[in-house]
Formats: sequence, structure tokens, C-alpha cells
Amino acid sequence: MSTFMRVVWIVTLPVIALLISVLFLGLFRKITARIQRRYGPPVYQPVIDLTKLLTQHSNISHGVMFDMGLIIALAGSVVTVLLIPAGGIHPLSSSGDLLVIIYVMLIPVLGMALAAGDSGNPNASLGVSRKLILGLGYEVPFLLVLLTVMTHGETTSLVNVVQMQADSILSWGVFRFPLSAIATFLILPVMLGIHPFDIVGAPQEISSGPQVEFGGKYLALATIEQALQLFIVIALFVDLFLGGAANLGTFFLKMLGVFLIGIFIGAVYPRFRIDQALRYCWKWPTLFALAGLILVMIIGG
Amino acid sequence: MIMVSILLIAFVGAGGTCLVGRGNPRFRGLVASLVAFLPLIILAFLYGRVISIDYASVPFLDIGLSLRLTPLSWFFGIAIAALGGLAIVFSISYMQGKERLNYYYSMMLLVNASMLGIVLSGDFLSFYIFWEIMSWSTYLLISYRGKQALGAGLKYIIMSIIGSSAMLLAIGSLYISYGTLEIPSLATALQGASAWYALFVLLMFTIAFGIKNAILPLHTWLPDAHSEAVSPFSAILSGILVRMGLYGLFLLMFSVLGLNTLNRLSYGAISFNLVLSWVGALTILFPIFIAVLQDDAKRLIAWSSIGHGGYMILGIGVATTLGIAGGLFHALNYAICVALLFLAVGAVEYRTGTRDLNKLGGLMKRMPITFTGALIGSMGLIGIPLTNGFISKWLIYKTLILSRYPFLAFAALIGTWGTVLYGYKLVHNVFLGQLPEQYKEIEEVPWTMRVPMIVLSGFVVLFGVLPGIPLKAISVIQTHLGMTRLETSLFGMPKAIGELNTLNIFFALLVAGLIAYAAFSASRRSRRVSQYDNYAAGARVPVGGYQHSVRFYDQADRIIRPYLRDRIDDFYGWIATQSTAFFEQLRKIYTGNINTYATWIVLFVAVLIFMGLLGWRI
Amino acid sequence: MDRANIRKAIKDPHKWGEKYSLWVTYFCTGCGIMEIPPTITARWDAERFGVKPMATPRQANLFLITGYVSIKTLKAIIISYEQMPNPKYTVAFGSCPIDGGLYYTSYNTINHLDRYLPVDGWIAGCMPRPEAIFIAVTKLWKMIEGGMVDGYKRYEENIDYYRRNQERVLGREFIESSPAPMTEEP
Repeated sequence: MSTFMRVVWIVTLPVIALLISVLFLGLFRKITARIQRRYGPPVYQPVIDLTKLLTQHSNISHGVMFDMGLIIALAGSVVTVLLIPAGGIHPLSSSGDLLVIIYVMLIPVLGMALAAGDSGNPNASLGVSRKLILGLGYEVPFLLVLLTVMTHGETTSLVNVVQMQADSILSWGVFRFPLSAIATFLILPVMLGIHPFDIVGAPQEISSGPQVEFGGKYLALATIEQALQLFIVIALFVDLFLGGAANLGTFFLKMLGVFLIGIFIGAVYPRFRIDQALRYCWKWPTLFALAGLILVMIIGG
Repeated sequence: MIMVSILLIAFVGAGGTCLVGRGNPRFRGLVASLVAFLPLIILAFLYGRVISIDYASVPFLDIGLSLRLTPLSWFFGIAIAALGGLAIVFSISYMQGKERLNYYYSMMLLVNASMLGIVLSGDFLSFYIFWEIMSWSTYLLISYRGKQALGAGLKYIIMSIIGSSAMLLAIGSLYISYGTLEIPSLATALQGASAWYALFVLLMFTIAFGIKNAILPLHTWLPDAHSEAVSPFSAILSGILVRMGLYGLFLLMFSVLGLNTLNRLSYGAISFNLVLSWVGALTILFPIFIAVLQDDAKRLIAWSSIGHGGYMILGIGVATTLGIAGGLFHALNYAICVALLFLAVGAVEYRTGTRDLNKLGGLMKRMPITFTGALIGSMGLIGIPLTNGFISKWLIYKTLILSRYPFLAFAALIGTWGTVLYGYKLVHNVFLGQLPEQYKEIEEVPWTMRVPMIVLSGFVVLFGVLPGIPLKAISVIQTHLGMTRLETSLFGMPKAIGELNTLNIFFALLVAGLIAYAAFSASRRSRRVSQYDNYAAGARVPVGGYQHSVRFYDQADRIIRPYLRDRIDDFYGWIATQSTAFFEQLRKIYTGNINTYATWIVLFVAVLIFMGLLGWRI
Repeated sequence: MDRANIRKAIKDPHKWGEKYSLWVTYFCTGCGIMEIPPTITARWDAERFGVKPMATPRQANLFLITGYVSIKTLKAIIISYEQMPNPKYTVAFGSCPIDGGLYYTSYNTINHLDRYLPVDGWIAGCMPRPEAIFIAVTKLWKMIEGGMVDGYKRYEENIDYYRRNQERVLGREFIESSPAPMTEEP
């Protein structure tokens, strides 16, 4: 990749990711509505919402961290998008491997947590506390899965992991380590924070949690950040188990497939309690991930 | 000569500060800072040099005492001198008006001096002497505050003595076996030693160093001692003093025994290094999650201090190039971050008089610099990219994964999430949320307390963005010890080692942040509202009670707390009570009656004679 | 979305957003809230109009006063209303907020909501059906289009009048603890 193309992709990839993830948000609402036998909002409803929020006449702020936290979170999400290979495009991936991605993914979480904490609302703090506890829940199987993949390939580079799956469909991660793929799929809704694991922003219990004081442009940026998280998690799944893709189109289709299955599960469930979610994460997904790792250790690379 | 002068300045300065303090207390802080920073300046000029001199001899043992500067001791020496100096500067305001200041400053300087002595000593006798000076002066400083601190100090010194005894045993046996205690000559002598003997020496030293570095079954002194000590000293204690254990272990493993001998210490698949790595992994796992449960800010950091010691042990345990570099680098990073956190918590305690995480909140608006310090310190501990902690953790993970130790890597990685939990809890409960009414008027701490925090924060970010600076020093250490050295560039790793370029990430974050900021400021400006103009389900915010900080992670707490009881401490406590009871009973033989004593003596002699008759040699 | 709408959206994105993304404060003041569950769920599905209940007033800009307003509720309504960001719209739902309705003689309810808060629209009836809400929403669209909903501006301009009336029923203490209402940023 020439330097010029690299710069071009660095600029365009976040924009594409943003468009895709906003589209996903719209699809999410539309499909959920159709599953619940509603007509549902138009697919471009998130665009309307974001426009409204960004152009809103008045905003309130609770302090410096309230502003900065969001900006840090958004910047962290954008960098994560750049580090994850998406359909053969990986403009920044030589600057960071999977380990870096794990840690860069912490920046948005902490940024949002700081912004929420500065709002001075216990609902927000509760939401953050739930988010971090939930993180403790899903990180256990997720890290085991990542270690399985990295140990198997004897590499920490996500680009290499994708390349290894390029040969045929049978070399996809989902066929090489099916147990790990199952484990990841089981925790996918937890990572995405959709039903039945939308504990963090539970509107009925803690008034949408970390976002309780966000309105106007704050909510807009938070929504964008969440949408990018959607993109990141699904893209990571596609890269790890569905063989990445040779071009953006295929990549998008694969992401769409994973996303649709996620919605179909999410749309019909109520919400778990936080301790139920924690126990869930530490039971079956961890068991599968552990079995997958041991299998890879025994069979070898 | 120059090395003797470093130690002379340090030791004489410690006493001199006391004298100056008696004469004119106003100059005490200034003199103490000068004494603390002079060794730093001298050491800085000695970068990369290897000097070795004999400064005394012990005629009745026929050995010489020597000082030796190696890249390893330079690395630790710089950290000691810098942290020690910053802690002294912080003390000037922090300790103002407290009692027995002459005692405090001279002890602080003595601890620094003895630590410098440890890293600069060229033989194990000097090492032991400085080690003991350090242990005892630490004990005196821990119990400085009296009351509960006395108990904490006692616990520390008892464990410390056990460790010192083990070390003395090993040193004695080394002297008897080889007739020398010089580190270079021991290194050659021990190459021919049997594996069992090497293991014995290593184990004895590991007990001593493990107690100092608080590895898992030997950690119980640390939480009490750290939370009871005064904050500037906690910073030294947790930042660098406990890492003397790591220094000793590193010195013994790689400088004295060497990789070849270490590789011989194995039985089948189990080797000393593997066991050490697992101990390191467990040391990460449990203490870090115990830290999540703490409500006392300093106790929280103390437990995290044990946990992060595990990363370093893990790094040098796997003993690969990356692992050693990561372990050493993490020692430096952790020292910076934890000193920063202790100073920040100290600053909060200075202004509010409490460090109870359930009673504070919202201080960010009153103490922005302290907040920034605490935030950057926590980020460094978590290992957010662009802080120094990230690089060292990255090195350790990388080598663990590539050497096929995924379970060790898992323990280290999940430890990070524990760090996220307690790091955020610390920052949130103290600095975010609602500001209690009684702290409405407090101000930022004085400049002498701000400067150390600013400097340390600067280093966290500097080493995070340009990790090549300290890694260069570490690769010099590796070259000196004859290992494969870590190839680094100024801002990341070459392609052969792995994909990491901190500068690119830095600029990417910067540009993305700027764009986000542009979008943020392009839309309507926001209006600052008071903390009481807040959503409370349509009610006015209840003043003073609208904060979620007590049992911050309640739901997880309930699940994990039963597994995280410190049973080792319970066990030691049980031993302590049992032995107290035993000695209570034993005391009864002292009846005060001369006839009874005479009986005991006669009985004892009779037993001796009887054993002699049986032909036992004693 | 037809072509005329696209042109309008590009010409004034703010107005477009305001119209088609009306977020409602989750607040039940009285019996009228019974009509909301069928409105937002599968039977009538308010989401196709972009109408969505939000958990906090910080995120909402449509306030549905659903049913009679007791004095205690009025306090909460005013606090929530003042926390909503501009532009914000109030629609009183049912006959009680209009003139007291069934509770006209009650000692504990207010009879005329618009003395205490600016009201942009009324839905009469006891109870109004969910369809009435949608008619109200489409009416609101037209009013936003014509720039006719200025309740929040009236509130700022006539704050003394509203505060006086509020003080009469809620007491001095409440007024003193109220922050100044949100003013339009320049």
C-alpha cells in the first residue's frame, strides 16, 4: 500500500465505518420493529436523530471531563477502527497488533466512564459500574478466545490471523476453532450491549445509565461512539472467525450476517440482571473458550 | 571514588539534615531535597559505565567490600534517586507542622541512601549490610505515625527478619563454599555448582527478596505497612523499595547464576522459572481483585502494588529477551505510576483529612492537578496506550503468547481488567461525582506538592509515547549481562518483534481527538450547570447524598468476595496466636524460684550426659 | 421520503430533525399514561413517527402531560421541564390539564396547566385515543414547520408570571431553589 493510499484510507475508513454503523443502528430499529410486528421507523431514522441532536439549540455541561471524556472516547473508537483490518484495508495495522487493539478498546470505555462520572449523577455512576462489571464478565471468555487464536497462529498480528484464513472457507476460524467461535458468539450480545444484556443503559431502571445527563451534542457523540463500537466488535468477529474479506463489500455482507443473527436473538429477549449476566458469561462461554484453548494447546498449531 | 562520594553524600546528608533541622528548621526541606537530588545528578552522568572499586576490607573474613556500578544498578539507582527526591520535595509541604520532622527527613534520606547502597554494592556482604539498614530504617518510618502503624511496622519487621535470616544463611553458605562474596567471582564460581546447591541458594534468596517484593504467599505485611505509612513514604515504599526485592532476584538470577544455570534447575517439565512465573501469575490474579474490594484509597493502591509486582516476576520468570525487558520496564513504570497515585491520594488527604473512598467525591473541580495526576497514574497502571504501563505489559504479553504460555498470559490480561475496575473506582470515588458540601472551599495543594505530581505525570506520558528512551537503557543491561538484547527504536518495536508504533497511535489519537473536538465545538456551545441541576427523577437533588460510591461494584463484589479472602494472612495470624499461646505456656517455667532453675539445669546436663552415653555426637 | 422532503431537510436540517425526531419524556402524571403503552408498542407504534420515549428529560423535547396534575406532580413537572433542552414542546393530554376536568373541585389538583407552564397544544378528551396523539404529533409538525411553537420562548420571556403562579401553589421555598431557566445560547 503506497503512502498516499494509506492516508486516503485513514481518512475514509472511519467515515465508512461510521456510515455502516449508523446504517446498522437504523436496521436494528427497523428489524426489531418488524419482529415485534410494528411498522418501525425509517431506516434513516438515526440520521434524523443525530441531526436533531447535533443542531439542538441548547446543551448543558457538567464540567471539563464531561466534555473531554466523550471526545477521548470518540477518538479511541476511531483509532480502533483504523487498527482493525476491514476487507483487506488496514491502514494502521502495522502500528498495532491484537494486543494493542485490546487496549485501545479500553479508551472508549474509560472515556465514557469519565464523562459519565463527571456528570455527578448516581445513575450514571451505576451505569459505569455495571459496564465495568459486565466487562469483567465478557473479558474472561473473550481473552481466552483471543489467546486461542494467537497461540494457534503463533502471532499477535490480526492481519496475519486474517491472512491465515484466506485459503478456503474451511480455513476460516469458525471451522478451525469452533468452540472458540461459539464462545465468542455467545458473548457477542454482551459486548454489543444489546438485549438481553442492555444492562448498562437500562432506561427503565437507571434512566439510561451513563447517558443520563447527556443531551444534544453529547448524546449525539455518545451515539456515534456506540455505533462505532458496534462496528468494531462485529468487525473483530468477522476477522477472527469468518476469514475477514478480500474487499469491503464482502466484509460488509459478512458483518451484516453476524449483525442480523445478533438482532434476531436480541429482539425477543427481556433483560438479564447484572449478576445473572456475570454468571452467564463465566459459565458456558468461558467453558467453551477454555475447552477451545486446551484443544489448541494439545493439538498444536 | 565517585561512587563512594555518592554514598557518602547520601549517608552523611541524612545525618546532616537532622543537624540542620535542629539548627534552623527553615532550611531543612531545602537541604533534604539537595541531598536527595545530588546522587541523581551524579548518577545521570555515569550512564552506561561499568565501575568497580574496593572501599574496605574485612580482615578476619579475608574478603574485601566493594562497590560496583553496572547498567542494572544505574537503572535502579536513577529510579531510586529520582523518586526519593520527588518524595522529599512533596514532603516539604505535606509534612509541614507535623511532629519529629528531623527524625522523619533523616530516615527518609537514610532509606534512600541504603537503597542506593544496595544497588551499588559489588559483593553480598555490603549488599546484606545495606539491606539491613534499609529494612530497619523502613521499619522506623512505617511506625512513624504510632498507633496502628506500630502493628503494621511490627508485622513488616518480623517478616523482614525472616527474609534476612534466609538471605544470611545463603550468604554464609556461599562464603563457606567459595571463600568469596564478590558478585563477579561468585558468578564464575557458581557455574560449576551442583543444581541442588544452586537451587538452595536461589530459594533462600527468593524468600528474602520475595518478602520484600511481596510475591504471593509472602505478601501479608504490605497492605498494612503501605496504608499506615505517611503518603510520601508510601510512594517510595511501594514505588521502589519493594522493587529492591526484584532487583535482588534479577541480580541473582541473571547476574550471578546466569541463564545456563537457571536452565539446569528443572525436573521434567517443571523448572524453577516456570514455578516462578506461575507464582507471578497468581500474584497478579488475587491481589488485583482484592484491591477492587478495598474502601481505603491507600490500601487499594497497596494491594495493586502486590498485584503489579506479579507482572515483573512473570516477566523475569519467563526469562526471554522481551520478558526481561518487560519485567524491568514494568518495575520502572509501576514505580512512576504508583508514586504518582500515592502522592495524589496524599494530596487529597492533606486537604480533606480523609482517604476513605466512601466519603469523598467531586474533588476534580477543586483540585484539577491532583485529579490529572491520579487519572494519568491510573491510566498508566491499566496500561492505556500512550502511557508507559502499556509498553511493558505489551512486551510481557507478547513473549508469553509467543512462548506458548496462554494461561499465564490470561492471568496477566485479566489482571488488567481488575486494574480497570479499581483504577476507575479510585478516580471516580475521589474526584468525580458530586462534591460534598464540606469540601466546597478547599483549594489545590501548594506548588511543592504539585511539582512532583506534574513531573511524574510527564514521565508516564513521555515513556508511553517514546518508550525507546528507557528501553535503550534496558537493552544496555541485557548486553552487559550477555543476553540477546532487545532491539528498539525510539517509538516502538521493529517489525521483527511485533507491530507497535506508539508515535502513529499518538498522532492518530490526536487527530481523531481534534476532529471530534471540532465536531463538538461546531455545534451549539454548552452551558455549565451546577451539580445540583441534575436529573433526580423530577425531584431536587438531595444535597450531600446524591452519590454512588459505597460498594461501587456491589454486584460483582457479592460474587467474587468469597473467593478473595486473604487466607494466607489468616494462616499467619493463626500461627502468631498459636505461638503466642505456646510461649505463654513456656513462660511458666520461669517461676522466679531459684530451686526450679537449678532443677532445669541439672536435668539438662543429665540429658546431655545420657545422650553422650548413647554415643550421640553433638 | 419524497423529493420535497429531501429539499427541506437539506435547507434546514435542524427543523427536519426537530420534526421527525420527537423524543418524549418518560413521565406519567396521571391516568392518561394508560394510553401510552399501546401507543408506543405494536398496536399503534409511535416509533414510525420518530416519537420515542426517553428515560431522562435531558434527552427529550416533547413533554406529554398525561392526565390530571396534582400539586406534588406539578413540582416534578416543572423541574423536568426546566431540565429539557431547547427547543421543547408541551402537549397537554386529556381534559384535566385544560380545565381541571373531573377534578375541577379537588383541593389538590391544578385546573389550568398553562398558568404554570407554557402549553403548545391540547388534546381534549377523557381519555383521548392513541390516534389523537398521532394527530397531535402531525399538528405539531405543521406548527414546527411554521415556527409557531414558541412555548419555551414564552416561558423565558414571561418567567415572572409563571413563577408567581407557581409560587402560589408550590410555595416560596420551591421557587428559591429553582435555577434560572435555560436561555437560548447566542
